[in-house]
Amino acid sequence: MNPLRIGAVIAKEARELWRDPVTVGISLLMPLVMLFLFGYAVTLDINNVALGVLDRDATPASRSLTDSFVRSGYFRLAQVFDSTHDIDAALQRGSVDLALVIPERFQATIARGEAPSVQLLLDGTYSDTAQVVAGYADTIVRSYGRVPAGHVRVEMRVWYNAEMRSANYVVPGLFAVILMAFPPLLTALAIVREKETGAIQQVLASPLMASEFIAGKLIPYGAVAFIQILMVMAAGFFWFDIPFRGNAAFLLLAGSIYVLCTVGLGLLISTMARRQVTALLLAMILTLMPSMLFSGFVFPIFTMPYLLQLYTFAFPARYFVEVSRGIVLKGSGPGELWPNIMMLVAYTAIVFVIAAARLRKKVA
Amino acid sequence: MGPRLTSLILKEFIQFSRNRVVLVLILFLYTGEVVNCTVALSNDIKHLLLTVLDFDRTPESRNLERSFFAGEEFKLAAHSASEAEAGDMLQSGRASLALIIPTGFARELAQGAPSSIQILLDGTNSNTAAIARGYALGVVDRFERRSLANIAGTPAAVVQPVLRVWYNPDLTFTRFMVLSMIAAAALMVGVIQPAASIVHERELGTIEQLMVTPITTGELFLAKTLPTLLTGLLAVFPSLLIAWWFGVPLRGSLLLFVALTALFLLSAIGIGVLIAAVARTLQQALLLAFFGLFPVMFLSGTFVPIKSMPDFLQKSSLLSPVRYYTDIILGIFLKGAGFAELWPQTFALLAIGSVLFSCSLLMFRRN
Repeated sequence: MNPLRIGAVIAKEARELWRDPVTVGISLLMPLVMLFLFGYAVTLDINNVALGVLDRDATPASRSLTDSFVRSGYFRLAQVFDSTHDIDAALQRGSVDLALVIPERFQATIARGEAPSVQLLLDGTYSDTAQVVAGYADTIVRSYGRVPAGHVRVEMRVWYNAEMRSANYVVPGLFAVILMAFPPLLTALAIVREKETGAIQQVLASPLMASEFIAGKLIPYGAVAFIQILMVMAAGFFWFDIPFRGNAAFLLLAGSIYVLCTVGLGLLISTMARRQVTALLLAMILTLMPSMLFSGFVFPIFTMPYLLQLYTFAFPARYFVEVSRGIVLKGSGPGELWPNIMMLVAYTAIVFVIAAARLRKKVA
Repeated sequence: MGPRLTSLILKEFIQFSRNRVVLVLILFLYTGEVVNCTVALSNDIKHLLLTVLDFDRTPESRNLERSFFAGEEFKLAAHSASEAEAGDMLQSGRASLALIIPTGFARELAQGAPSSIQILLDGTNSNTAAIARGYALGVVDRFERRSLANIAGTPAAVVQPVLRVWYNPDLTFTRFMVLSMIAAAALMVGVIQPAASIVHERELGTIEQLMVTPITTGELFLAKTLPTLLTGLLAVFPSLLIAWWFGVPLRGSLLLFVALTALFLLSAIGIGVLIAAVARTLQQALLLAFFGLFPVMFLSGTFVPIKSMPDFLQKSSLLSPVRYYTDIILGIFLKGAGFAELWPQTFALLAIGSVLFSCSLLMFRRN
C-alpha cells in the first residue's frame, strides 16, 4: 500500500463530499435530529390520559373517586357517560382511553364497611400505553380511602441514573445507533456509486491497488463518523446534561474500534450490491434496523425469547451499546467491559476478512 | 388509458421486476423483519434479575423473599453475601435489583414497629427501572397487607377495582407490533422506490429521451408511481398472512383496509417524488429518503407511545401520515372499526396525501 496513492483517493473523495452539500448537511443534521427525538421522547411516562366516567351513584363518595383520578395528574376527564352504550362508542372511536364505571349504592356500600367494586374498561390497542394506564388506575382505586399503613418502609436507592431520566439512558445508547446509521451507508454508497457509473473499471485499470482504493474510501467516512460522534457527545453532555462517570479516552478507543467495524460493514455491503438502491435497503436491514431494534437501545434484550437473544449477538451494536452505557453511566472500565470489547474486535476482524475475500473473488 | 401509457407502465414494471435483489429485500421487509420484530420486541418486562442479601435470616425475611419470586416479575440472580457483592452484581449487570433485608426485620415487624428494607435498583434503563420499582413496591405492599391481616383484622382495600381490557385482552405487544411493522414497511417501500427510480433515470439521462417523445409529464408521473403503488398493495398480503399466523384478528373490513392502505401509499409516494425533485444525484435522493423517513416513522408511535411524547412532538405527530395509518390499521383489525369511526383519520390522510401529491406533481412538471 502506498500512502501517497491512498492520500490521492482520500483527497478525491473529500472533494466530492465537499461539493455535495446535501450529503454533508444530512450527515451533520440527522444525528442531531435523532438525538433530539429520542432524547425527549423515549419514556413510558404518560399523562393526559382521556378518562370517561359513568357515575351511577352520583354521591360525594363517587365524585371524590373521580376526582382522585384527575388529581393524580395522569388523567383528564374527557367525557361523562349516561349509559354503557356510550362507552362502547367512545372506546371504539378512541375518544377515551379508559372508562370508569361506578356502580349504584357505591357510597352506601362503603358506609356499611364493605368493599364495592368499580369497573375499569381499558382500550388495549396501544398495549404499551395501556399497561401503564392500567397500573395507574389500579393504584388510584386501591389507595382510595385507605390510610397508608407504612408498616414496612422501603428505602429505594436508584444507582447510576438516580432521577431515572430517560435521556441518560438514551443518549449513550444513541452513539451506537448513529454510528451504525451513517458510516456503513455512506461507505457502501461511495463504492457502489462508482460501480454503477462504471468508474470503478477505470480505477481498477489504473496502478491503484484495490486495497488502496478501499482504504481511501473508508478513511473519509470514518472521519465523518468521528465528527458525528463528537457532535452528539457535546449535545448530549451540554444540552441534555448527561453525567459522564467513566474515562473519556477509553470511550474514544472503544468508539474507534466500533467505527472501524461500521465502515467494514459498509464495505461488505458494497460487495453485495450492484446498485445504490440495493445498498440502501441492505444497509437498513443489516445495520440501521438491528442497531435500533435488536441492540437493547430501546427494547430490552432480556425480555426477548432465547433464540432472538442469540440473534442480537449477530449485530455489533449490542456490544457497543453496553460499552457506551457502562462507561458513561456506571463508570465501568476495561475490567468490566473487556468481553464486549473483545467481541467487537473479533467481529471487526471477521467482517474485514469476509469483505476482502469477496473483493478478491470479484477482481480475479 | 392509451396504448402509450400502457407501454410506458409495462416498461416500468419490467424494469422494476428485473432488480431481483430489491424485490427480495422488499419482501423481507414485509415478512422476515415483521416476524423478527414481533417475536423479539416487547415492553412486557418479566424475569428481572434480583439478588437477595438477607441479614435477618428469619422465617419472615424468607417469606418476604419468597413473595418477590411468587410471580413472573423477578428471577433470582444469586444470593449475595455482602453489600459489596450485591454492588458488584449491579455494576457488572448480572442483576438489576438488589433486595437487602437488615437484621431485626422480623422482630420489628412482630412488635408493630415500622421495619425497613433496602432495595438497590439499576436505573440505567429508566423505563425498565420505573417498571421494576412499581413491581417491587407492589410486592412489598402485598406482603405487608398479608402480614397485617395476620396481626389484626384490618381490611385489605376499601374499593376493589375490576379491570377489563378491550380489543387486546392480554395486553400483548404482539398485535401492535405486527400491525405497525406493516405500516413501516409500506412507508419505506413507498418512499424509496419512486425516488430511486426517477433519479436513476435522470442520472442515466434517459429521462430526457422520454421527454422528447410524445409522452406527457402526467403520463410519465403515473407510470413512475403506479408500480410502487401496486407492489406496495400486493406486498401487504404476505404480511397479512403473518398477522393471521400471530393470531391477530381481522375484525373490520378487508376492503376498507386495502383502500386506506392505497391512500397511505399515495402519501408515501408523494414524499418519494418530492425527494426525487430536490435531489440531484441518486446518493442524495437515498440519503434524503433516509432523512425524511426517520422522523415520519418516529412520530407514528411505533417506537414510543405518542401519549408519552412531550407536547411539541405530540403536535408534530399530527403531520405524520403513519400516525393516522397506524390508528386505521389498529382500528380495523383490533376494534372492528369502520368508516364511521375512522373518517377523521381518513380525511387527515387524504389531506396530507393530496398536498404531498400535488406538490410532487408540480415539482415533477417543473423538472
